[in-house]
Amino acid sequence: MDSKLIIEVSSLKKTYTIGSKMLHALDGVSFNVKEGIVFGLLGPNGAGKTTTIKILTTLTKPDSGSCIIAGFDLFKEPRAIKRLIGVVPQENNLDRELTAKENLLIYGMLHKVKNLSASIDEKLSMVGLTDRKDSMVSQFSGGMQRRLLLARALLPEPKILFLDEPTIGLDPQIRRQLWDVIRKTKIEGRTVMLTTHYIEEAEALCDTVAIMSQGNIIALDSPDNLKRLAGEYVVDAIDETGRLTQYMYKTHEDALQRAREIQNGAKVRRSNLEDAFVKLTGKRPE
Amino acid sequence: MTFKDCPNWYPIFLREMLMFRRKLIKMGYLFSAMIVPVIYLATFGLGLGKSVRIEGTDYLTYLIPGLVAMSSMTNSYTWVATALNLNRIYFKTFQIFVQAPVSPFSIMIGQVLAGMVKGLFASLLILTVGFIASGTLYFTPLFFVTLLINCFMFASLGVITGMMTSSHEDTSTYNNFFIIPMAFFSGTFFPIDRIPEGLKALVYIFPLTHTNILMRKDYLDLSGIISLIIIISYATLFFVIGSRLIRQYSE
Repeated sequence: MDSKLIIEVSSLKKTYTIGSKMLHALDGVSFNVKEGIVFGLLGPNGAGKTTTIKILTTLTKPDSGSCIIAGFDLFKEPRAIKRLIGVVPQENNLDRELTAKENLLIYGMLHKVKNLSASIDEKLSMVGLTDRKDSMVSQFSGGMQRRLLLARALLPEPKILFLDEPTIGLDPQIRRQLWDVIRKTKIEGRTVMLTTHYIEEAEALCDTVAIMSQGNIIALDSPDNLKRLAGEYVVDAIDETGRLTQYMYKTHEDALQRAREIQNGAKVRRSNLEDAFVKLTGKRPE
Repeated sequence: MTFKDCPNWYPIFLREMLMFRRKLIKMGYLFSAMIVPVIYLATFGLGLGKSVRIEGTDYLTYLIPGLVAMSSMTNSYTWVATALNLNRIYFKTFQIFVQAPVSPFSIMIGQVLAGMVKGLFASLLILTVGFIASGTLYFTPLFFVTLLINCFMFASLGVITGMMTSSHEDTSTYNNFFIIPMAFFSGTFFPIDRIPEGLKALVYIFPLTHTNILMRKDYLDLSGIISLIIIISYATLFFVIGSRLIRQYSE
């Protein structure tokens, strides 16, 4: 894999003032993203994932820090970066009073897309919305709107695709369809950066995962290495009240030994990313 | 489609026009847009009608340019302020402009031109209704130039309000405190000479006062030149502030 860095973030800080309180959304976040990978930001609500994405996509100005994207300084050359990125936001920002095709037309014109008409048809076909291109977006289901957002973000053929909770609230079938599109995006050579609440999504898609908590990155590695970091084997023990307690071990033998000692019986299994997440953040994913 | 070479402001303008066209197709919108000028003309114009004479002309003829000034102001301003506020806070559609490789200046131009079209459309309705009611069509080159500047000025002010307000209710507050008083005290319904001396200074600060002065002139004299300089200055100031607010935008 090409080891060239496409995103270099250093000491990013952002504080919001809400009433008389100061909320430190980002408290000195630093990380790098290699070109051509799927990079995931995982963390509980309020960890700073969306703020990070908003800063990297020029929507939010940070208090301090530096960020280089594809060799351009985000704060000195934002327009150069805007030409290279596509964004799927967490909140649907499609124009509901326009048709699917009109939404893509306006976006494509803003981004100076070549052969716009053909590109619109191609992207609508990619997400399975060709027969709904002249329908008003207000008539679309949640899943169709998410697919259209993805088609819109890919219309300018971006070098980097940012996805903020791309499959939130979707049923499993639609979610997997979107995963296929994201995987195809990576195969085409694009870098993908996504935030997600869904551990399985991070595990299925991401080459590298950064776990965020309270405005900081507390762990950054491949999903396999993060699992190893937390312990490769888990003992699930249920007590008399029905409460689940989990113990994590580096070796299978240690886990088996612990399971035998538990009177009510316990199960030994391999750890997953959720176990690593819980161990590192102290919180269960929503 | 060959949209690659279109100016950067054009997609922003086109988006507004696509939505505006869809509203126009619904006849209910057209009737509701016409109802306000018809009410003003019926109550003030036809009510006082030909019996009252102001500045050597009958009241209906006096009223029509004032109504055009007022209506072009409220429509250019309100459409932009409301849409921008909603698109920024509720629908989040403003994000796609901020994240696109276009300058804040282009976003400003697109928004202001769209507001101008809506103001000009409302003015056309007033002129049409006025023509049907009075039988005279009020139109001079100075009137037309002033109308364009007025729409530009208040669409730019609409951007300022749309960018500054933190909720939809705030937009209504600005409307109640600034736009409505300006609509009634700037020489729309009666000459400024009849306003008490103490209030005149305030009235002359209102940009709409100078629009009304210019719209009722047949040619540009010295006082007209002063009013023209004042509205051009206001328009420039509002445009620069609006562009700056877009540049400073951060969520």
